[in-house]
Parts: sequence; structure tokens; C-alpha cells
Amino acid sequence: MIRFEAVSRRFGQGRPAVDRVTLEVPAGQIGVLLGESGSGKSTLLRMANRLVEPDAGRVLVAGRDIAGQPVEELRRGIGYVIQSVGLFPHWTVARNIATVPRLLGWEASRIAARVDALLRLVNLPPEEFRDRLPAELSGGQAQRIGLARALAADPPLLLMDEPFSALDPGTRRDLQAELRRIHAETGKTILFVTHDVEEALVLADRLAVLDHGRLLAEGVPRDLLADGAGPEIRRLFGESGLALHRLATRAAAALATPGDAASLPALPEGATQKDALLLMLEQGARAVAVAPDALLRWDDLVRAR
Amino acid sequence: MLAGLAAAAPFLLGLLSLAPNRLLSPRPAGLPLTTPVLLSIAVFLLAGLGLALAACRARSLRLAELLAVAMMLALLASAGMAAEALLRDASASARAMPAAGFWMSVLLVCLAGGAAAAGRGAAPSLFWAASLLGGSALLLGGGLESLSLLKEAAARGPEIRAALAQHLALSGGAFLLALLVAGPAALLALRHPRAEAVLMGVANAVQVVPSIALFGLLMAPLGALVAFFPVLRTWGIGGIGPAPAVLGIAAYLLLPLASSFLAGLRLAPPALLEAAAGQGMTDRQILRAVRLPMGAGVMLGGLRLAAVQAVGLATLAALIGGGGLGALIFQGIGQLAADLILLGVLPVVALSLAADALLAGAQTALGARA
Ligand SMILES: Nc1ncnc2c1ncn2[C@@H]1O[C@H](COP(=O)(O)OP(=O)(O)O)[C@@H](O)[C@H]1O
Ligand SMILES: [Mg+2]
Repeated sequence: MIRFEAVSRRFGQGRPAVDRVTLEVPAGQIGVLLGESGSGKSTLLRMANRLVEPDAGRVLVAGRDIAGQPVEELRRGIGYVIQSVGLFPHWTVARNIATVPRLLGWEASRIAARVDALLRLVNLPPEEFRDRLPAELSGGQAQRIGLARALAADPPLLLMDEPFSALDPGTRRDLQAELRRIHAETGKTILFVTHDVEEALVLADRLAVLDHGRLLAEGVPRDLLADGAGPEIRRLFGESGLALHRLATRAAAALATPGDAASLPALPEGATQKDALLLMLEQGARAVAVAPDALLRWDDLVRAR
Repeated sequence: MLAGLAAAAPFLLGLLSLAPNRLLSPRPAGLPLTTPVLLSIAVFLLAGLGLALAACRARSLRLAELLAVAMMLALLASAGMAAEALLRDASASARAMPAAGFWMSVLLVCLAGGAAAAGRGAAPSLFWAASLLGGSALLLGGGLESLSLLKEAAARGPEIRAALAQHLALSGGAFLLALLVAGPAALLALRHPRAEAVLMGVANAVQVVPSIALFGLLMAPLGALVAFFPVLRTWGIGGIGPAPAVLGIAAYLLLPLASSFLAGLRLAPPALLEAAAGQGMTDRQILRAVRLPMGAGVMLGGLRLAAVQAVGLATLAALIGGGGLGALIFQGIGQLAADLILLGVLPVVALSLAADALLAGAQTALGARA
């Protein structure tokens, strides 16, 4: 869906902000760009909607080189969400969400229906929020509106630059879960930037690690965190926390054994091995239920590595 | 306290003075003790007493404000009627004008009215509106026409109206001209840092030149231009007259206008502009939908400042033959005729207050809508 081919970009003198990165996010997946502050994540992301032009290399969206495409048209077809949200303070929530549909010249009735549908999608009651101004929203609500605005014209691709980094931890976890749900419902391709290791592991179908503008590693999270991970990866994820992060990349169901689990604490569907471990610690149990007839034992969990 | 002083001032410093004609200097005159004058002086004193009492209690501050209005109007009426009585026995060319005690008392009553309003945490708009309304009623009713100022005004009615129209044309023309230059220049400066440096450099440099010197500086090139293209003279352009005045005033307005426009256009934070661009808005759409509405308050503030400056600076146009209310003022200064000076100054003050109030209203309306 989106593909960077050997793209580089240098600002002024010194080392390039992005250095010969080749990367692809397949259609319908969430690709996460992970790296420390200043590693070039935003610069790479912004090449996808031409807010930054590469010095070398090319960017393909849906198989077409974007360099030749009219820039406004390209951007109207790609959702864009940023950390500071960037809602227009003098416009109501409905007017903000309608930005791109209006640019595209949709009819008023179609826009109104779309706004209400999107508000429901991001779990905000339309009657209550439609006519509010951005100043009357909490941080989490504002970013939900930011997400609704990006989805307004139903673009196949979303670019999200640290959208949840300014939120408090509880709200951040809620929104991560919401994004996963919305992604499952809409099937969008998402390129998501974060410096938060846990957030990356919660969201990523594919994970790319950037360091000083270079691509350090790329692949499905389970492979990246496997035993052979290099020193830079170990440092980024933290030596001591690595084992726990690794559990977060594996499904609890993979270690389940058949048995009667009716009386055990139950895991939600799709839970990871990290969730299983935390539930055992929380409940003081030596096993948890993955399904009514399948359970995961403490011994299997610690032996798996 | 203020009320007491205000009540005493006319008696200590004299209410009116009398001059044999409009140019000779006036001498203090005694109060003519006719019935209407005595009546209105009594009202004035009673209102003063009431004001002093009412001001002591927080609950009756609104009453105190109204009593200050009553004092003001009674004072005006006393002056008007006393002037009429004084002139009855004087020569036809004699002039009666308010003396120091009158002005002092007006000032003190204003202070008292303002203090009463401030005491209940309000702006003294009630006081001003009521005084202005009552004053206008007295004026239109003919209660004040014996005062020298109004005699002068009556004698020079058409002249004043013409000067006022000229003044409006000068300041309005300069304002529009400056607007036409500053608007596009600010847009250009927004895109190009070099253009900004040039614009702000020029605007600041103009500001440093004293205004009369600037008018003088403009005279030479414009004069030369006309000598070269005589057709310009038939359009009313020349080294002296309204043309250099309008140009000079406009040059002064450039700084407040351009700097407030630029500040307004830059009010939208960079992240917001990036969000706008990232959604596919064109530069023009960003300007119209984001930069202009967000900066409108700041830009209106600049317009307000420039409008007031335009009215004030247009007074100096008279120095290079540009006409306007300044012509009356300088003529008055030349003749040492205080009334004539006032007749020039008062409309200037009124004009700039009106321009300011109009744009302030627009600003408030905008703030309420946003
Ligand atoms: N517009 C710009 N002008 C100059 N330098 C920039 C610009 N954008 C980014 N950089 C530099 O490029 C590097 C990478 O920045 P960025 O992509 O924002 O990193 P990240 O998003 O990972 O924190 C940083 O050193 C930053 O200072
Ligand atoms: Mg960044």
C-alpha cells in the first residue's frame, strides 16, 4: 500500500535526518515506526504526504510514485493525525471533521450524515459533540475528533505522528484499544509513529526501528524481539524489560493446553502471553483460562522463552 | 470630597469671564443674579450635596452617578443662562466664555461620576451617555448659545463643516491608501523574509522622521513630478496641498497596519498550519479559513490604532496647505483666539473617539462570535 524506496533527506549540513530507508506497509496493516526522539520518524512519515520532499529515493502509494501527483489531491486522499491534534479552534467539531469532504465538494446532507457516523465510530455521541468548539474538549476527546477528521473522506491510508503521546496513560491505553478496533472495522492501512515501546507492541502488525535516520530493523514484532536481537534493539527495548516485551509479541493461545478451565481466571480473546503473566500475578493463580476448554500454565509460560 | 470641591470651584475661581470682543483677552465676571441662574445654581449645589451623601453608601452609588449627571447639566445650564444675562447689558461684540472655575468643576464632576461608577465596578458609560444626551439637549434647545464658543461656531458654520469634510477626506483617503499598500505587502512579507525586512525597514524609518519634516520631504519630489507632468496638476496633485498630506499620513500608518497584519497572519501556530496543509488545503484556503479568522482580532486592533492616528495626523495637513480641521486650529493659534482653537480641536477629538469606538465595537463583536 505504501512503500519507501531508498529515501533520504538532509536538512542543512551534518548527518541526514533520513538515510536510505526502504520500507513497506502492506495494505490493511498497521506499520509502526519506532525510534528515539530525533531519529527521523516524523521526517520519514511526512514524505508520504509530501510535507517533506525526499532528496533521493521515491515514495509509492498504492503502487504509484507520488512525486508526480498534484500535492493537494494526494493529501486529501491520505488521513493525517498529529500529536498536537491541530483542530481549528474557531470551527465546531462537525465543521472540523468535515474539512476534507468540504474540500472535495461533497453535498451538505452527505457531509452531515458522515460526521454523525464518524462521531459514533470514535465513541462520542453526535448530539452532544457535534456543535462543540475544540476548547470544550478534553485531550482524549480532541484526539478522537482528530482521528474522525482523518477518516472523514474514507482514505485508504492513515498517517499518524505520535497521536497519543501527549495523553495521560489511561486515556492513551483506551485510544490504543479504540484504534485497534477501528482498524479491524475499517481495514485501513496505517503508518503510525511512536517513541513508546509498549504502544508500538500493542499496535504493530509490522514494526520498523529507526536510529539516526537509518532503518535498524524491520519485520513482525515477534521476529524483531526473538533471541537474536542486536544490541541496539536490546538497548531501545531495555535489557531488563526485554523478556516481558517479548511475551507481549506472542499470543496466549499459542501455549494453551486442553483441559477444564471453567474455574480459572479468564483472559479476553486475542490476549498476549504478557497479559496472561500479569493476570496470574494479579490473581495469584498458577494457570489462566484461554478458552472454556483450554488453559495456559505458569510452567509452560516461563519455559517457553 | 470631590463633590464638595466641584461645588466650590465655580465660586472660588469664577464661572464665566467676559471679553469686549472675540480677540481681546477676557476678564473674570461676577455672577448675574437673575432668577433662572439662581435656580439652576441651587440645583447644582443640591445635587452636589446629594452626591456627597450618596457616595458614602455603597448601595446608593448608582444614585450618586445620576446626581453627578445632574450636577454637570445644572452647571452647563447655569453657564449658558449666566452668559445670556451678562451679554444683555454688554456691547454686541462682547463675548462670554467659561472661566477656570467652570472647567475645574467640569473636571471634578467627571472624576466624581467616574469614581461612583468605578465604586460599583462598572465603566462610567451611564454617566457619559446621560451627560452627553443632556448636553446635546441643552445645546439644541438653545440654552447655551450665548457662550462665546457657540457664537464663534454659529459665525463660522459653513467653514467648520467644510473643514470637517476635508478632514474626513484626508484621514479616510490616507487610511485607505495605507490599507491598500499594507495588506498586499503583509501577504508578500509572510512568504518572503526578504520582503518583510524591506517592509518593516521602510515603515520603521518613516516613523522616525518627524511628521512635518516628512511632509516637507514629500513636497520636493511631488513638486518636481508635477513640473514634469503638468497634467497631474489638473488632478489636484502638487508639492503642497492635500496630495502630499495624504501620502505622508499614509506613510505613517504603514507601520501600525503592516505590523499588526503580519502579527495577525502569524497568530495561527505552526502545528495548526501543518494540520491544515496535511489535509490538502491550498495556501489560499489556509489564508482564508485559518490565518485571517484567527488573526482578525489583532488586525482590527491595528486598524483601530491607525484610524485614530490618521485623524490626529490629518490635523498637520494644514501646515502644507492640505486644509482640514488643522486649518482652524492654526488660524486660532495665529489669532490667539481660544474659541477657534477649540472649534478645531473638539471635532478632531470627537472624530478619533468615534473611529476608535466603531472599530472597538467591531472587535468586541468579533470576540463574542469567536
Ligand atoms: N524542517 C526541518 N528543518 C531542519 N531540521 C529538521 C527539520 N525537520 C526535522 N529536522 C531535523 O531532522 C532530525 C529528525 O527529526 P524528526 O524527523 O522530527 O525526528 P523524530 O520525529 O524521530 O523525533 C532532527 O535532528 C531534526 O532536528
Ligand atoms: Mg516527531
